[in-house]
Amino acid sequence: MADLASRITAPADTPAPEVPSAAVEAPVDGAEETNLVDNTYEVEVKLSDLQNDQESPLYSVSSFDELGLPKAINDGLLAMNFKKPSKIQEKALPLMLSDPPHNMIAQSQSGTGKTAAFVLTVLSRVDLSKPTQPQALLLAPSRELARQIQMVVQTIGQFCEGLIVEAAIPGAIARETGVKSSVVVGTPGTVIDLIKRRQFDVSQLKVLVIDEADNMLDMQGLGEQCSRVKSILPKTIQILLFSATFPANVMAFAEKFAPNANQMKLKQQELTVKGISQMYMDCPDEKQKYEILCKLYGLMTIGSSVIFVRTRDSAAEIQRRMEADGHKVTALHGAYEGANRDALLDDFRSGRSKVLITTNVLARGIDVSSVAIVINYDIPMKGPGDREPDAETYLHRIGRTGRFGRVGVSISFVYDRKSFNALAEIARFYNIDLIQLDPNDWDVTEKKVQDVIKSSRAKADYAPNATSG
Amino acid sequence: MAGSSPPHRQSCQWASPNRSSIIADILGDDRNSEARHKSLLESAKKEHDRVRLEAERVYRQHMQKEEQQRLLEEKQRILEAKRREEERIRLEEHNAAERTRLHALRAKKIEMPPTPKEPEPPKATAPASIPPPVHSSSQATSMNGTTAPQALQTPALFGGNKPTIDSQPATHNSSGVQKPGPASQTTAAIQASAAPNARGKAQNNGPSLQTKPSQAPQTTQSTPQPSTPVTPDRYTVIHQNLKILRKFMIEQAKANKALKERMGDMRREIRKCVGQLTGGAGANRIQQASIINLLREALGNQVGSAPMDPSLFILGPRNPVQGALHNEPQLPSLFFYLLNIFSKATVSQFINEAGAKPETADPVGVCIAFVFSDPEFLWRGASLIDILMAKFRIVCPVLFGYRGNEKTEQGRARLGWWKDNGHWVGDQQHMDRMTGLGAGFAAVSLRKFANSKKDNPYPPRYYWAAMARIVNTPPAEMSNTQCVVLRSMIQNFEHKFIEFYGTAAIVALRMCLVEFPARAPQKTPAVGSLEVLGQVLKRDAGLHL
Repeated sequence: MADLASRITAPADTPAPEVPSAAVEAPVDGAEETNLVDNTYEVEVKLSDLQNDQESPLYSVSSFDELGLPKAINDGLLAMNFKKPSKIQEKALPLMLSDPPHNMIAQSQSGTGKTAAFVLTVLSRVDLSKPTQPQALLLAPSRELARQIQMVVQTIGQFCEGLIVEAAIPGAIARETGVKSSVVVGTPGTVIDLIKRRQFDVSQLKVLVIDEADNMLDMQGLGEQCSRVKSILPKTIQILLFSATFPANVMAFAEKFAPNANQMKLKQQELTVKGISQMYMDCPDEKQKYEILCKLYGLMTIGSSVIFVRTRDSAAEIQRRMEADGHKVTALHGAYEGANRDALLDDFRSGRSKVLITTNVLARGIDVSSVAIVINYDIPMKGPGDREPDAETYLHRIGRTGRFGRVGVSISFVYDRKSFNALAEIARFYNIDLIQLDPNDWDVTEKKVQDVIKSSRAKADYAPNATSG
Repeated sequence: MAGSSPPHRQSCQWASPNRSSIIADILGDDRNSEARHKSLLESAKKEHDRVRLEAERVYRQHMQKEEQQRLLEEKQRILEAKRREEERIRLEEHNAAERTRLHALRAKKIEMPPTPKEPEPPKATAPASIPPPVHSSSQATSMNGTTAPQALQTPALFGGNKPTIDSQPATHNSSGVQKPGPASQTTAAIQASAAPNARGKAQNNGPSLQTKPSQAPQTTQSTPQPSTPVTPDRYTVIHQNLKILRKFMIEQAKANKALKERMGDMRREIRKCVGQLTGGAGANRIQQASIINLLREALGNQVGSAPMDPSLFILGPRNPVQGALHNEPQLPSLFFYLLNIFSKATVSQFINEAGAKPETADPVGVCIAFVFSDPEFLWRGASLIDILMAKFRIVCPVLFGYRGNEKTEQGRARLGWWKDNGHWVGDQQHMDRMTGLGAGFAAVSLRKFANSKKDNPYPPRYYWAAMARIVNTPPAEMSNTQCVVLRSMIQNFEHKFIEFYGTAAIVALRMCLVEFPARAPQKTPAVGSLEVLGQVLKRDAGLHL
């Protein structure tokens, strides 16, 4: 409580609690009359309203100024409209920036600023006087995510003179020149290729960041590749592992991968983002899911939306139907490759299309701030024959909305016993109350959705008042 | 008079040396000559003219003094009248509050079991002098199926504060003063409606202490402002009227099945279309057409919604205009309802989508300009965009010159800081809202109509005025909210602004991005981001401010 109290000015030393009401009400020109009518005493905002949930992932006390970042980086943050650090940024940054460098394993909910946290670390560690000498390597599980991180580094670093950021993804780095940048963001396979071809000088790398670390270190997937990359890098390198989820088996490996790391972990019940209203639609049968899907768009204000489906075929069918209803739709799945995929996602990012239909390839990490709703057209499943519900993927999927304290909605479609049970199990796993929606009376459903959004809006943002900073 | 004597005397003194020579002249030979006679006449005439001019000057001086005196007295009289007016307002407000309390007490005794769930009692809107019409009566008329009596009922629902053409001359009564007169009249009306509303809320919500301070600012907000122009606060009245309209539509739908079936679908269709808007030329043709079609359908009024007076939803009274498509005194209420829904959907789109991604505001602004400028949807030759601006006035008051301290309850209320469940929404949420609304306002007010046959419903001068209101804030009253709104008004719109105002725009941008933040008493991130925007414009657009 001590630090909290220090942020709030006591009523005694506030300069002017009584803003002269006449001046306040008179816009610009009507200044000639000094109106003496009630010089009202203005009540200070209550502490409880300012902030008291210190556990909130967006709660933080300090300002970016206090983190002692170089001015160029700070200006970059301001240009991006970042006003103050989130909890993960505030807590993890001092640990990551300290010298001598320490390893870090950090877990924080989706949309709470993990990327900015490690990007700030990377930018602070890079020596800009050596612009073509690779100094930081960031690994991500997909080319989309790698490009996204590259973009964040470039945006936050827009005032850092001499900063060059390259993406080590298929087709992005010229064979003749090789890597010629201080910051490299890539996928493990391409990075290994570049190192093997001696087109990537790793001798002076200072930081290795692995985003979506639980996915990347999973031994059934990219884990082996990541280990190979690490074995080639300097032994003194600082390793930073980030994710919203860290299942226990991966965590053990992560601790070996990044020895003696500082750790920030979350409990299972803390994983869900409070600002996301989670609902489910009880569809009479599979056929009617299309119809119902289109109706959802009249229920609430929607900027962009993401629809997760199981198969490419249903993606194509939904795309056709929605375009007939006037939507601009992008369908992105494994059938597309390389530059095509980039162009499709750019359409969605820029807002040229506002509906993204995709399979699990984009469940993780993709950050489009205006996504207002995530629809699980099919419940995520895993294991042989899709027998088990996939709770982690559910969490990552719905995390595409409700970014950085914004309100978001997720609606999952169930239509038979299997899908119903799968969703129920996921809800039990995270201890969430899913709200049922009924497709029969749209007036009623509309009212219900509005009410749910209203009530979760209050929970969305416990971030403190920036005015005190 | 005192002023006139010295020159007179001087002229005598000046004449005296001449006198001896006059005697000499008399005795002289030519004393009877014609020439001499003429010259004497000449000098007599000169003297006469001089005296006359002098007299005229003195007269004018006197008149001036009298005029000054009169003006002084007039000013005194006006001030006195104003004081009396204010006293009256306060008294009326008090009475109104007392009366609502009385109503509430009475209501409480009768209807104990059903606790009111909606915190806005519509009955409170009527000014103290008119007994509030009972809701059920209007319902009864609508059940009968006759629309005409219903139409007569509706204005009563909205209280006496609408500027209908007949009532307007009556307001220019004894006060006889140009501005303060009508202004205080309107504020009185607003208070009459706002004050009991606030009190009513507090009462209805029973003993919860939380709501009380939250309502108080709204009352103080409209109290002390005889000096403000009439327009900004007419918006709050329009906003209230729109709320009542919404309730009225729900009531109508209960009795009118055709209306009920159509209303919800139309509402959702509009919301969907607004959500689908994207950038790019011609990308929104389908969406705009379906919005237009829905509004047209509402004007056609197949479902038989009650007619309503459009002047309830506009700033000032309008007279019929030759050549206008709609000059009739009433239009279907469903039409206003849909305009209201459309406005609501766009504002919500600004808040929710443009708050996260300001560049999405532009296509929505285009759609707004397109719909409100459509000749079919003008009334008496002018647009009905006041419906949208009334919403802006409520959700983003800093655009209209309102200021406040972000650390106080009242200050936040004045700044349009939202409350959810009785608590202020978080900082991030508030700033996101303001970002979206700033961008949205720019997207509405910076529209080019040079190549269009239609009239711009909200021309760029409003953008300029809103900007000026923010930039002219004294340093001590600056708020982060203003900085955030100002920044998002400018970002992505600088080229449009410069296109309209040329060099003047560049000077204005310098005021906004260099001088205004430099004056800030505290370098908050919000202030800093204005300066950084200046740097970005310099780097990307080569704009040296």
